[in-house]
Amino acid sequence: MELADPITYMTMHNEAVLTRDPLGILPYSKQKIDNTAAGLNRAMYPVTDWRKELIRDHTINHSVNLNVSGGGKVARYFVAGGFTQNNGLLKVDKKNNFNNNIDLKTYAVRSNVNVNLSTTTRLDVRVNATFDEYTGPISGGTQVYRNVMRTNPVLFPPYFEPDADHAYVQHILFGNFDDGTGNYYLNPYADMVRGYKAYSRSVMMAQFELSENLDRFLEGLRFRVMANTSRNTYFETERAYLPFWYQASSYNKLTDTFKLSLLNEDGTYAGQEQLSYAPGSKEVMADFYSESALSYDQTFNDKHAVNGLFVFLAQNRVTGNATNLESSLPFRNVGLAGRAAYSYDSRYNMELNFGYNASERFHAKHRWGFFPSVGLAWTVSNEKFWEPLLNVVNSFRVKGTHGLSGNDAIGSPTDRFFYLSNVQMNDPNRGAIFGRDNSYSRPGISILRYSDPEITWEISTKSNLGLEIGLLDQFRIELDFYKESRSNILQSRASTPAEMGLSATPQANVGKAEGKGFDASVDYNKVFNKDFWLQGRFNFTFAKSKFKVYEEYYYNDIAPWRSHVGYSINQQWGYLAERLFVDDEEAAKSPRQNFGEYGGGDIKYRDMNNDGQITELDMVPIGYPTVPEIVYGFGFSAGYKGFDFNAFFQGLARESFWINPHATAPFRQYYYNADELRDRPGWPQKLTQNQLLKAYADDYWSEDNQNIYALWPRLSVSSAGHGNNSQTSTWFMRDGSFLRLKQVEVGYTLPTRITKKAYMEMFRIYVSGNNLLSWSDFKLWDVEMGGNGLGYPIQKVFNLGIQLNF
Amino acid sequence: MKIKNILRLSIIFMLALSPACNDFLNVTPDNIATIDYAFRMRSTAERFLFTCYSYMPSHASLNENPALLAGDELWLVASNTNNAWQIARGNQRIVNPYVNSWQGSLGSKDLYQGLRECNVFLENVHLVPDIIEYERERWIGEVKFLKAYYHYYLIRMYGPIVLIKENLPVGAPAEQVRIPRSPVDECFDYVVQLLEEAEAALPDKIDFEVSELGRITKAIALSLKAKVLVTAASPLFNGNSDYTGFTNKDGTSLFNTTFDVEKWQKAADACKEAIEFCESLGHRLYEYNPEFVQYNLSDTTLIQMSIRNAFNEKWNPEVIWANTNSMSAGIQANATPRGLDPALTANTGAQGNIAPPLKIAELFYSDNGVPIDEDITWDYNNRFRLKIPGYDHRFNLKQGYTTVQLHFDRENRYYASLGFDGGIWYGQGRYNDENSDILFVSSKAGQPAAAINMNSYSTTGFFPKKYTHFQSVIGSGNTFTRENYPWPVLKLNELYLLYAEALNEADGPSEEVYFYLNKIRRRAGLQDVEAAWSTYSINPDKYKSQTGLREIIQRERTIELIFEGKRFWDLRRWKLATTELNKPITGWDLDQSSAEGYYRERLIFNQTFRLKDYLWPLNENTLLANPALVQNPGW
Repeated sequence: MELADPITYMTMHNEAVLTRDPLGILPYSKQKIDNTAAGLNRAMYPVTDWRKELIRDHTINHSVNLNVSGGGKVARYFVAGGFTQNNGLLKVDKKNNFNNNIDLKTYAVRSNVNVNLSTTTRLDVRVNATFDEYTGPISGGTQVYRNVMRTNPVLFPPYFEPDADHAYVQHILFGNFDDGTGNYYLNPYADMVRGYKAYSRSVMMAQFELSENLDRFLEGLRFRVMANTSRNTYFETERAYLPFWYQASSYNKLTDTFKLSLLNEDGTYAGQEQLSYAPGSKEVMADFYSESALSYDQTFNDKHAVNGLFVFLAQNRVTGNATNLESSLPFRNVGLAGRAAYSYDSRYNMELNFGYNASERFHAKHRWGFFPSVGLAWTVSNEKFWEPLLNVVNSFRVKGTHGLSGNDAIGSPTDRFFYLSNVQMNDPNRGAIFGRDNSYSRPGISILRYSDPEITWEISTKSNLGLEIGLLDQFRIELDFYKESRSNILQSRASTPAEMGLSATPQANVGKAEGKGFDASVDYNKVFNKDFWLQGRFNFTFAKSKFKVYEEYYYNDIAPWRSHVGYSINQQWGYLAERLFVDDEEAAKSPRQNFGEYGGGDIKYRDMNNDGQITELDMVPIGYPTVPEIVYGFGFSAGYKGFDFNAFFQGLARESFWINPHATAPFRQYYYNADELRDRPGWPQKLTQNQLLKAYADDYWSEDNQNIYALWPRLSVSSAGHGNNSQTSTWFMRDGSFLRLKQVEVGYTLPTRITKKAYMEMFRIYVSGNNLLSWSDFKLWDVEMGGNGLGYPIQKVFNLGIQLNF
Repeated sequence: MKIKNILRLSIIFMLALSPACNDFLNVTPDNIATIDYAFRMRSTAERFLFTCYSYMPSHASLNENPALLAGDELWLVASNTNNAWQIARGNQRIVNPYVNSWQGSLGSKDLYQGLRECNVFLENVHLVPDIIEYERERWIGEVKFLKAYYHYYLIRMYGPIVLIKENLPVGAPAEQVRIPRSPVDECFDYVVQLLEEAEAALPDKIDFEVSELGRITKAIALSLKAKVLVTAASPLFNGNSDYTGFTNKDGTSLFNTTFDVEKWQKAADACKEAIEFCESLGHRLYEYNPEFVQYNLSDTTLIQMSIRNAFNEKWNPEVIWANTNSMSAGIQANATPRGLDPALTANTGAQGNIAPPLKIAELFYSDNGVPIDEDITWDYNNRFRLKIPGYDHRFNLKQGYTTVQLHFDRENRYYASLGFDGGIWYGQGRYNDENSDILFVSSKAGQPAAAINMNSYSTTGFFPKKYTHFQSVIGSGNTFTRENYPWPVLKLNELYLLYAEALNEADGPSEEVYFYLNKIRRRAGLQDVEAAWSTYSINPDKYKSQTGLREIIQRERTIELIFEGKRFWDLRRWKLATTELNKPITGWDLDQSSAEGYYRERLIFNQTFRLKDYLWPLNENTLLANPALVQNPGW
């Protein structure tokens, strides 16, 4: 990502202030710009390339695996272990006595044992576990990258070398700037080195399965009980000091000296040299799943294959870090599923299925849902008349299914018992305080949800038609068309006027939607001779959806284009941007835009309903859905003697995305979430200031260059203008289609006769690259980063690896 | 045969499964809180009472109270994103309006939600078993008051509103919850009715002051009723012909367009009743009279301290209602100049970034108690000339520090309410007004209180000193330790002025009008209105006519209650906003370091106020959600 140079940054920042407020106080004096350009004292006039300061471009990772398997007639075992170490790309600072570069170690253990308890009974026990140990900066690599992209390059250096006045100081003299709000800027360097975080995660899964062969009662009858449980635990600890912020001032050009002043000696955000400890987040979760199944599978007279199945399943999940009573209650499902299938002569297949499921989320009356389905298939290539074609078309099969399914994962973990009201009896935000010195206070009571016992399963009816074709013993083609209609979609009621004063919006199973799609895949596989083999694969999916019923205001007479009915679930609504306003006068004469102050150089929107105002009623469906309708990929692998080569391409089409005008707006604050960048919980977020993308610096509306089709509208640091320009509109809409060379790998395996001598089973050396090439109409940044050009980039990765097996 | 058996078995199995599974799925314990739990005992019911209080608008919040920043009393640095101030800049809109109390967004609490809570309380409070009847009645009185206040607050903003006398049921069909707006007279009548019901149940005053000050009393209810009736009688709502033809969809007129003088008489009676009741409880105009006197203060300082402290000395006898849920610490930081103490310029605890425009400074009287452009002894045309204060001015202006004539010979409320370049700032640990170490503001470019960064400076050069308690102290680092007072919502001086206004409107000038006006003027160290105008005004008979006296009362009210969140609503109810809020916002030329350069009037913003701005717009989507609603005129 190319950023504008620091001098441009300063002049454009000044311009951004002046263009909106001629009386505004300039962020940089002329003297500061001149001295920075002249390259005077870099501590006083810093030019910080934060990316270079903080991020390396390579790292070394290790990985070791061990597998053992064996056994005999009665019992068999398989044991595997693995170890991986990942080192981050951050630069380690030598000023601290702790190493806080990223170090993530992962250990994995797996053991499978199966025992034949008797001739008819078999026991399987599987245990696997993964353990992560991490130490690293409090904010991870992504966060560090995001931080550097929203830090002013010229306001302060990462740190100062101690001068004579501060020779005694033991801490690092981090740079910062006092802007009068009493808050401090984000210094990504300080943020990275001020402490470290350690976390441990373990995921364990144990499974027990007992299967009994009941042939003695009925040929083909089996019974199976399976239960598994998994536990996740995660905890982290943070140790950090609070940085001391310094600002340089009173530069003396003759002696090349300046004065360093400490900004946060005391007060709320005072620096602190000693490490303090903060417990990070903790996660504990237990999952239990069991199923018992009775199955029957038999073929009569070599022609009539019958099979049937009953499964009873129960699931229970509890978490130990619930945030409220509701999320602390177990998540449970029980269900009974059955299948009856019949096939005649491997030609005609018929299958009936049902699920009878219940969920803990719904009222007892609506708890159970019955979801049947039916399937038919015809293997044409097994017919007599196909025989002449078999050499060319090896297999040909047509299949179709039709059925219902249910979804109870509606709402959210903290908001799921729709049949109960949710009352917060102890709401500090709804309390009040009284008394001469405010000494009597009580919390309040608030309603978070009104009860509605009618809410139940979301239902989907799906039909499929598929083809499977085998050609020339080399190609395998699968085609699948489907149509799905969903009903009972949970949506918020639109017809609750504000005057009702509800503190939560009621929801109901009212929405209906329809989806259609097509999947295709082609596989090619051929071994030419013992030295040369080739594989190829191609897949393609196309999916389209639309709402049939959508809970919304009654738009028909007022603004029919606002209705979601008939549009994709992922359709975006926005304004039609015509161009930028030529000048303030034109802006004043045009229909009033209701998103804050605007004028010349700001985006002009179209008044769809001609009421002289741009309001939400003027939004129209714009662009393709935000989820691609077409996804495809293709690739091949080939081997010749010791060499192997493979490549894989991936692409998508019919998707729109929007440049994020908040995240990329130069000089403005941007936070990824409301809790980040606080040194301690409850403290204010540190101030940020977006970097200036070179693409924007090269093409924006300015008073000197009033290009009404410029990429970026008139600059703005305050909300004036920004509010207008940051509306979702066609101005920032872009085509998300791309094709990417996702992976290429070349490897060479030494012949075994050589490796054997070194007591090795295999020695392979390989080079691989990820994301090396891509093709897209969008050139500003990697299209897969979406709207945020200052976000974490899609990285080109080169790996050089050695694989040793003993 | 076999298949039949399997089917039969499975049906039995399924039937047997259901009840057992239901137990497994009944994960919710029986005693999950429902709203009934709130009224099972006194202590939870008390929480619900406090919940009703929690929707009280935060009067001291710059972001939430439009009366502070949405008018012309205070101005901000252009980069500020304050919601209320967007209204002052003419940016109010129908998409996501600023300070939207109808829906509770962009700086406002959701008052309709508050009304729903009040109704839930009133519907259920009879269920609470362990409460004595007197207390139950008192609580009902308090909640009825709150219900009245929230309605009143909405009426002031939106005019005719949807009255929520009872709650609308949650699951009701859409047609049943689409309620139209009620005519504005009906709205006021309902508020008055609620207040009268509340009065009877409320205690006269708070007995348990340590734990209950700030709760609603009969004195508050009577005073609010007086204010509501004055509002209802004022030109905006009483016979406003601008709203001819503003009707509901069914044709009901929402405004009564014929003037009714009776409304003023009713208002005057209510004011009188409230004043008498408050005075009987010991409320009186505050005068600074410290028990422990460290220094012999000059009369000037004493008068100015009476004016400042009447607002910011907590629970002084003038305060009838103070909002304990909205404290002043924040606004004191915004009011106090950064760099007031030249030794502590780096302390940004004091931000000094809310700036009264020059036109507000010009509103104050001369020391003769008449407007500066009416005073025959005051040189209005040369008010921007430079002048050096001498020894006589030492309590108001820094001796020997060049400043501007505008600052000379003004009334005490000018010096008590405003800070400005060269003006003395009594307090901050310097309590001897004769001592030369007493602080003064110096805010020309390069001086301690000048704009040295982009956020903490005054864009006009003036500071609303009235907000800052004289004992609040700027310390080292970024500490600013404040004497934190609850925001005074209603004070006795306001009742006096309301009474004078209502009497003059009902019957014209009278001795009683002068009497209450003069009470206010005497506390501010001014001559009586008759004497001042007769002697010093170019228009000496002004106070004798109803129109002249109206102007005098309006001016007096503006000055006396400046920065208290009154002018914003007053200009609206007097229908004067179209003239007053169409004047430019100006200040001194901050970029200049010389007195000659600095004391030039500089245009900051051309404020515009259109007819439609008298009433708030309804958010576009409220009209979509409730098709029975109509938008306010012009929006």
